[in-house]
Amino acid sequence: MKENLPDQDGFFGEYGGKFVPETLMFALDELEQTYKTLKDNNDFNAEFHRDLAEFVGRPSPLYFAKRLTEHYSTASIWLKREDLNHTGAHKINNTVGQILLAKYMGKKRIIAETGAGQHGVATATVAARLGLDCHIYMGSEDVRRQSLNVYRMKLLGAKVHEVNSGSATLKDALNEALRDWVTNIEDTYYIIGSVTGPHPYPMIVRDFNAVVGYELIEQSQESFGRMPDSIIACVGGGSNAMGIFYPFIKMNDVELIGVEAAGKGIETGEHAAPLNDGTPGVLHGAKSYLMQDENGQVKGTASISAGLDYPGVGPEHSWLKDIKRAKYVAVSDDEVMKAFHMVNRMEGILPALETAHAFAYLDELMPQMSKEQHIVINVSGRGDKDLNSVVEIEGIKL
Amino acid sequence: MKRIESRLKELSKVNQKAFVGYIVAGDPDLETSLDLMHLSVESGIDILEIGVPFTDPIAEGPTIQQAHDRSLENDTNLQKIVDLVGRFREKDSDTPIILMGYINNFLMYKDLINSSDELGVDGVLVVDIPGELSLKDYGIDNKDLDIISLVSPTTSKERIQRIAKNSSGFIYYVTLRGVTGSSNLDGNEIEQNIQYIKSISTTPVMAGFGIKTKDDAKLLSSFSDGIVIGSSIVELIHKNSENKDFHEVSDYISTMKDAIR
Ligand SMILES: Cc1ncc(COP(=O)(O)O)c(C=O)c1O
Repeated sequence: MKENLPDQDGFFGEYGGKFVPETLMFALDELEQTYKTLKDNNDFNAEFHRDLAEFVGRPSPLYFAKRLTEHYSTASIWLKREDLNHTGAHKINNTVGQILLAKYMGKKRIIAETGAGQHGVATATVAARLGLDCHIYMGSEDVRRQSLNVYRMKLLGAKVHEVNSGSATLKDALNEALRDWVTNIEDTYYIIGSVTGPHPYPMIVRDFNAVVGYELIEQSQESFGRMPDSIIACVGGGSNAMGIFYPFIKMNDVELIGVEAAGKGIETGEHAAPLNDGTPGVLHGAKSYLMQDENGQVKGTASISAGLDYPGVGPEHSWLKDIKRAKYVAVSDDEVMKAFHMVNRMEGILPALETAHAFAYLDELMPQMSKEQHIVINVSGRGDKDLNSVVEIEGIKL
Repeated sequence: MKRIESRLKELSKVNQKAFVGYIVAGDPDLETSLDLMHLSVESGIDILEIGVPFTDPIAEGPTIQQAHDRSLENDTNLQKIVDLVGRFREKDSDTPIILMGYINNFLMYKDLINSSDELGVDGVLVVDIPGELSLKDYGIDNKDLDIISLVSPTTSKERIQRIAKNSSGFIYYVTLRGVTGSSNLDGNEIEQNIQYIKSISTTPVMAGFGIKTKDDAKLLSSFSDGIVIGSSIVELIHKNSENKDFHEVSDYISTMKDAIR
């Protein structure tokens, strides 16, 4: 297997690259150069890891899910608790790292897109900490579904820009963030929220989230004396999955499973599962699997979870799929709701709806496993933000 | 000689600057686009830039985004746009036509774009592919087509050299940091950058993005080989789409053409 991807042009095999308007090329080159110098800089790394420990609360625990394990009574189920991070999701690992890049580059203005609002909150949080001007783009549909997070961003001093164009969800928020960046290119740092976008973002976001996978290597050794048999993570843009997969890519015995949103069912076309039902195309600066029609127009998506409601996916996942190093499956909204309740009742954990996708795959996976095996689920975030949605979906009056 | 080159040579022989005008194919509908193409040429446009609508046009401001959305409501696609150009060519075999759009739509129609001499199209401008890369590497390869590349205020000198080597027809200088339809032109910077491009390349340079008024047009044409106007035309088309009386479009184009004479 080829090592050290992406290559110097930002490709993972045929995926990735920098498909952006000319004005952005300068900023991407500047970012790439900065990252290249800082990546192995001791001061930079010391600061990053200190922030992860003292501000985020890392390492996150690896927790044995006793009742879930008994329920399925095959392999042991372990949970990597990213939901316990400050601000409630893995997203903070990336923003803590990228805000340091912004600081070293002397940028005074921060922009980001957000779907579920977790990345927006994580960005507003680190911007507040450094006293930087922060602007968050969010589709109006998501502003409605995730109103608690919108308020939280405002508390943190960020300005939330509602995006009404297109489908008014995550992809349109990304379009708007890119347009802002083109306009304010010199003083603005764009903190992208997943392993998507043009090179060098997929690499940078992966590297900052890879702390999750590296911790898991040590914790697996301590907890059960070897590496896990399978690692499961939900995939929207793919940052929590890439972060936990990355350090294991070369360990071929560790099965890597990404779970996409099948929405109302893959066969209905109303889903958000480009790796299961998409074709290679270019969106938001990178070539990757994409939900698109025969004219190359990007299709609408459907998912119960705002954070997975995206027609594209990070390019490294497309590459892992093609070389068959990772397996990508999809679960429907109904299966997700069932898993959401199961995890609450059996483990006392309120998972984000995104995260519940990973749990929803257990019904299919566990019967194929055996008692002596160990699987790990990346609990990418907690579900407080989703309570309004869940109440609405289930028609409950509070 | 290729149409773009010969049109630009004719103009420069009589000391005139080129007027490149942008409309979105299929806004308000393809029939009307055909009429608007002829009307634009009659009113003073020298080169037609036909926008290929995309669901996610990240380089466009709201005016052109909305035109893309309207066009997509009519199921416009590249095949229908090439057919439109074919029909335009029945009456006009001289005016150069450039297709401007996003890589993902062109990738889906590689075979069509590569196919023929009868395409009727003279150049392509792909907004979201860096100018030093070759469209050939992505399977788009038709020697009859000029490949128009963008240079922006943030492009380094070293990259300008690579981009200039890769471009034919003309180089499109993006006059501002921003999306189409913005308004923050900086005359001095534009002049210096265009002078630099012209010092290293003989390819003509057009200035575009954010040109709205006669004064903008006059100023920018004074140090370029011509100007590109998009959002203002697209807005006037939309404003009059209901009754399809486009004399405001035609008046605007004539006024701008006069301004750069
Ligand atoms: C808790 C949680 N998990 C997962 C995701 C999906 O993003 P990614 O696939 O980049 O991890 C999100 C995005 O908002 C999220 O909030």
